[in-house]
Amino acid sequence: MSERKGVLVIGGGISGLTAALELAETGCDVFIAEKNPYLGGRVAQLNKYFPKLCPPTCGLEMNFRRIKENGRVKFFTQAGVEKISGQEGNYDVTLKVNPRYVNDRCTGCNACAEACPAERPNDFNFGMDKTKAAYLPFDQAFPFKYVIDDKHCKANCGKACLEACKYGAIDLGMKAETVTLNVGSIVVATGWNLYDSTRMDNLGFGKVKNVITNMMMERLASSSGPTKGKIVRPSDGKAVSNVAFVQCAGSRDENHLAYCSYICCMASLKQVTYIREQYPESKAKIFYIDIRTPGRYEQFYWKVRDDANVSFLKGKVARITEDEATGDVIVEAEDILSGRKIKESFDMVVLAAGMESSLKESRLPEMSYTEDGFILPSKLKKGITAVGTAKSPVDVQRSVQDATGAALKGIQSLVRR
Amino acid sequence: MAEQIVKPDLKFINDVIAAGGESLKKCFQCATCSVVCNVTPDDRPFPRKEMVHAQWGLKDRLFANPDIWLCHQCSDCTAYCPRGAKPGEVLGAVRKLSLQHYSTPGFLAKMVGDPKFLVLLLAVPAVIFLLIITYMGNLNMASIPRGEEGGIVYAKFIPVPFIDAVFIAAATFAAIVFVTGVLKYWKDMSQGVSLSGSLGASIIAVVTDILSHKRFRKCDVTKGRSTSHMLVFFSFVGLAITTTIAVVYIYGLKWESPYPLSDPMKILGNASAAALLLGLALVIINRLKNVDKAGIGSYYDWLFIGVVTSVVVTGVLSELLRLGDIAQMAYPIYFIHLVTVFFLFAYAPFSKMAHMVYRATAMVFAKQSGRE
Repeated sequence: MSERKGVLVIGGGISGLTAALELAETGCDVFIAEKNPYLGGRVAQLNKYFPKLCPPTCGLEMNFRRIKENGRVKFFTQAGVEKISGQEGNYDVTLKVNPRYVNDRCTGCNACAEACPAERPNDFNFGMDKTKAAYLPFDQAFPFKYVIDDKHCKANCGKACLEACKYGAIDLGMKAETVTLNVGSIVVATGWNLYDSTRMDNLGFGKVKNVITNMMMERLASSSGPTKGKIVRPSDGKAVSNVAFVQCAGSRDENHLAYCSYICCMASLKQVTYIREQYPESKAKIFYIDIRTPGRYEQFYWKVRDDANVSFLKGKVARITEDEATGDVIVEAEDILSGRKIKESFDMVVLAAGMESSLKESRLPEMSYTEDGFILPSKLKKGITAVGTAKSPVDVQRSVQDATGAALKGIQSLVRR
Repeated sequence: MAEQIVKPDLKFINDVIAAGGESLKKCFQCATCSVVCNVTPDDRPFPRKEMVHAQWGLKDRLFANPDIWLCHQCSDCTAYCPRGAKPGEVLGAVRKLSLQHYSTPGFLAKMVGDPKFLVLLLAVPAVIFLLIITYMGNLNMASIPRGEEGGIVYAKFIPVPFIDAVFIAAATFAAIVFVTGVLKYWKDMSQGVSLSGSLGASIIAVVTDILSHKRFRKCDVTKGRSTSHMLVFFSFVGLAITTTIAVVYIYGLKWESPYPLSDPMKILGNASAAALLLGLALVIINRLKNVDKAGIGSYYDWLFIGVVTSVVVTGVLSELLRLGDIAQMAYPIYFIHLVTVFFLFAYAPFSKMAHMVYRATAMVFAKQSGRE
């Protein structure tokens, strides 16, 4: 078994982690190349999973423990794939690993961040708060190591972090490294980005302060988020009592994303429960074209629908403006069932923004793509398997199932006869 | 709720598609269009409901209300439509079919809307004017008498009374078709609708709206259209005034053409022609510029633009060639000018020209029925 080649998993989110662990637990050596300084991907940013409404961090913790216990998974963070060549059973891959400027001696004591004078917008919280340029990506980050953001680090600050670190964990001279791997197969688990909502010029995102995206809502509701889990509106920190959800904000729209993003209806229904739980008197309204809750998710929809404080309006929101005096958000839609154009005011509006392939702008070599930048699995070379949202918008549950299947494909490539 | 049985008119659906509404079936009823539309009323807004009515072939519901004409085809709906269903273009196609429905005889309406019959439609005035020219013995251009100062005088090529007879007949025909069509349209719209307020006041309000292009100026995506339409519109007003003065000159003052360039009527006419040329150039440029967002438009649209352009270009050329004394070109161009003018007015009730009458009617009805 030991002379078998390893498998490269590109992406360390829930799909990549699952595939890597399933492979490793059959005795394969696995490499994960993750572009972020942490593993866990989008799932790490979620407050709760649907439909069970449990916190994703507990599932991630379990996976991280499996990595530690198994020992066959080697992962590179801040790593990108530069080159892929070869064929099934024998792929040469070149990775570029960017410097973290923090080595393995880091204990996560926060002294460097306290000393650091520079700030950076916190991308993990979608820019809703800031961290120091020396930062821990989030509370339960794995690896539990600080990072120095070289775009925001003011190296001329007298190297305050270097002096503050008692463990000699900071190395500002660290350089990008090139790593070459020879593997038998590759699993592509590159995941997704949230579609840029500023591109819908009629929906006010970026102009109307209290319009946020669904992923921002996840961070707002999360106890590790910018408000420690208090769902308040960005403009004035006011508790929300009346929130609108705008479905298909970019999805099913040939001007933006020409496909259904699959998860947004369930995500909004889930987020309605965040608000309803936190504010028992609050109201929520979902503006939709069709509520798409496939399979057994339908029952989750029924449950939310039965809440008397939750209402649904059939008609896509196509204009959002701001009431400048109050900061309230004015939403316009046609109530199709009554045939009236309505203007309604809300404390806050959540755009159910869609999924875009992470590969849309930065393609991996040697792959085949759909028009939208998703991987076209039927045209992939032998020995390369794509998983989860690298192929199409999909939920966590299906991503994980898909990843388990991909692990078998990976093994087949190693031992094919 | 009372049971309603919907009877789809399949032929109508195909007619809409053929008339430029190819994208009709792409609509999935999300109502983005009704929201981004700046000219729709809030109650029962358009064009979302028109899209489903057209998909279902509910012809009568589309024709018997003012909404399809309250639409100014700003194309904001088309630009924001997530499906490329182009509601603006579909409503344009429905308006074309509505004209064919209300303007009798129907066969003429079909012919105007179909490129196959273009030559035949042009042949009618061509034959009429050729007969006159032949009767006058002016087929040989060299033998056409000159004016007292030796210049080209079109009245000697085709005498004014002949032209007037032809155009008065054409205009009378068009007027009768318009009046019967509009009355029928008004009657259909009035079914079960209560009207209030004085008709006179509504008409005055609509005329004010039209003169100021109030609705047109609400368009976002095709912002430039209100300017180009205004130029075309007021050029037509200018040319109408010019024509009226000319009638006074000829029949009142017994003053024969051609008139000196310094004559006020001549100045107004030439200025209007220049404005019309500019307006049309802008119309065409705007349309081409907005193809991606608003669609290319239909044969019907372009026929109208083409005819008006031909009228003004041949009109200006006739004048220039007369002044330049290039007889071999002047008379044929003037002949084409008359043919295109005939086309524009005689077929007005069946062409896009009719929009001014039906849209104005719909706007008055909308005021009367509280639709605005």
